[in-house]
Amino acid sequence: MNDTPPTPAYPASPASDEHLMLAFSKGSAESFNELFLRYKQPIYGFFRRRTADPHHAEELSQETFLALLRAAARYEPRALFRTYLYAIAFKILRAHRRKAAFRATFFGQPKGIPDPSKQDATESGLWVRRAVEKLEPIDREILLLREFEQLSYAEISDLLQLPLSTVRSRLFRARTALRNLLEPSAAQATNEAAHSTEPASSPSATQTIPEKGFRI
Amino acid sequence: MSTTPHSIAPEEIMAHLDGELSPARAQSVSTHLESCATCQELVTSLRNTSHSLSNWTVAAAKVSSSFAERLSAAVAKAPSNSPGLKFQIFPSQRWRLLTASAVLVLLLILIIGPMGGRYNMTAPETRQAVAMHVAEQEAEESRVRAKAKDQLQDKWVYVPRSGLNLSKPEPPSNRPEVIGHGSGNGIGPVSAGSDGITHGIVDNDQSSFALEGKSISAQQSRLSSGPMIARTVALSIVAKDFESARVSLDAILARHNGYSASLTVNAPQGAARSLQASLRIPAQQLPAALAEFKALGRAEAENQNGEEVTQQHADLVARLKNSRETEQRLQAILTQRTGKISDVLEVEQEIARVRGEIEQMEAEQKNLEHRVDFATIDLKLSEEYKAKLDSPAPAISTLIHNAAVNGYRNVADTLLSIVLFFAEYGPVLIFWLLLLAIPATLVWRRWRHVTAAI
Repeated sequence: MNDTPPTPAYPASPASDEHLMLAFSKGSAESFNELFLRYKQPIYGFFRRRTADPHHAEELSQETFLALLRAAARYEPRALFRTYLYAIAFKILRAHRRKAAFRATFFGQPKGIPDPSKQDATESGLWVRRAVEKLEPIDREILLLREFEQLSYAEISDLLQLPLSTVRSRLFRARTALRNLLEPSAAQATNEAAHSTEPASSPSATQTIPEKGFRI
Repeated sequence: MSTTPHSIAPEEIMAHLDGELSPARAQSVSTHLESCATCQELVTSLRNTSHSLSNWTVAAAKVSSSFAERLSAAVAKAPSNSPGLKFQIFPSQRWRLLTASAVLVLLLILIIGPMGGRYNMTAPETRQAVAMHVAEQEAEESRVRAKAKDQLQDKWVYVPRSGLNLSKPEPPSNRPEVIGHGSGNGIGPVSAGSDGITHGIVDNDQSSFALEGKSISAQQSRLSSGPMIARTVALSIVAKDFESARVSLDAILARHNGYSASLTVNAPQGAARSLQASLRIPAQQLPAALAEFKALGRAEAENQNGEEVTQQHADLVARLKNSRETEQRLQAILTQRTGKISDVLEVEQEIARVRGEIEQMEAEQKNLEHRVDFATIDLKLSEEYKAKLDSPAPAISTLIHNAAVNGYRNVADTLLSIVLFFAEYGPVLIFWLLLLAIPATLVWRRWRHVTAAI
């Protein structure tokens, strides 16, 4: 199922997301319906790849659109609509994680790591999922935002409150680690290539980068 | 294995694939990629990884009917029709700033306005106008009093406060009205029988008592001359010229026949001088005196109080009269009757007790009347201080020395406080830390484990 977000069109064309959102903020219900149709699947995919339970993903998706509805009157097209929408989704996801962690800490173990037997039959790439789950949380989040949500480095930097250089180096590290996990045989060759290079200006991919107090 | 150093970092190649490089840098990376087999391998590897990730697909999103209905309802209401969504007092940051600024300006106006008004009120021109107005009013009142006095002189009997009126009061119908002279200059007509209190006193006793230079008639006249009000005024004035204000203060007191009950002058070095005084001014001259005091400078605060003591005075007069009657009866018993020595002694003791009460009540009455006759002004006169350049400033070395000494003392005090704190509470803190550390560690570990799993 293709859940890649629609290609952004900025500055806003008549049918752009930003145009539709502005039209909705002025009372056009059809515009919101169009936005919902466009982003229903991407937002569901966003949550589905980050939560164990498909029902939770559905609930959080719905919550995101309701939050978008509530915030429509305050919407200003200062950034791409999809960045705005993913920022809302990310906040809702973090709130959900906090609540789940609190419940699990004090009231019992959550469902936790996805059980392959309970996965949706239509979902594929279980081996990819398992490899992704082995990444560090921040690296994993950056990788997912780039690969599936198609956010730019700058947008990821804004969303996660991380420096741009950190986003780039962590993304490279995540991709390298994922490649090693997926293709162990090919890992050695590329590692050698990476080690033989002398970065001109950017930090090494394996360098430990201090985090900016952000927690995924 | 290639060990050729690259001028382009692997991250840049990745950024090039992601379209995150500037056109110029992207061009140079493309050129490099054409000739570098190692980087081409990296590109292939990164593309393969992305391709592998694309295998992770997600099932189609399901939209429940209940959510669809809820969303449709919310969309129908929002954002144009929903009061919760459309009605916002501060829809944007700009409006918040504007509103906050407006509120701030309003507060400033509210704060500064009264101060400006007070300043204007006490401006020299206004103060002069007020003083003139008060003087005119006083002159007018004097004229009216004189006229009334002339008109009533034929049929009214004047009872000076210090004198005695031993004439028997006549029946209310044709009793001459009495004008009493108080310790002040006020003259008040007495309509005998018009006041209930006055009636009671007059009816009970047809003769006036002459005791210590006062008469019941005088007291009655005071009672019936209107409400007795003990006035107190608190006034705070800031004067530009303290010396001249001090001289003017004495002149005002002398002019209005007042006196100062207490007066304190403070003149600290390097600060404004101030004067605090408790002044007594005849009540009738209070407005004029106040106006003149206010003309001394800028009135910062003024508070006037008037305590009505008419009832208190009437009660006192009645009790005094009864006690005097009792004393007279006891003396009559002592002179006219015969009996045992013990009875005589008992009567004398009773007379002594009654005499004591009478003297106490007379003192209270005097005090009360004095409070009515003389208004109290609690005056605070401050100087509008201007710092003088020629005041000897401490040397810089002295300042540094003092600051260093103070700093050393502060550090020593702080260290001592810390040591004392830990000496006092350290054992308890350690106890609680040990007690809470175990569950906190357990919760923390569990939290980390759970958050990693979610």
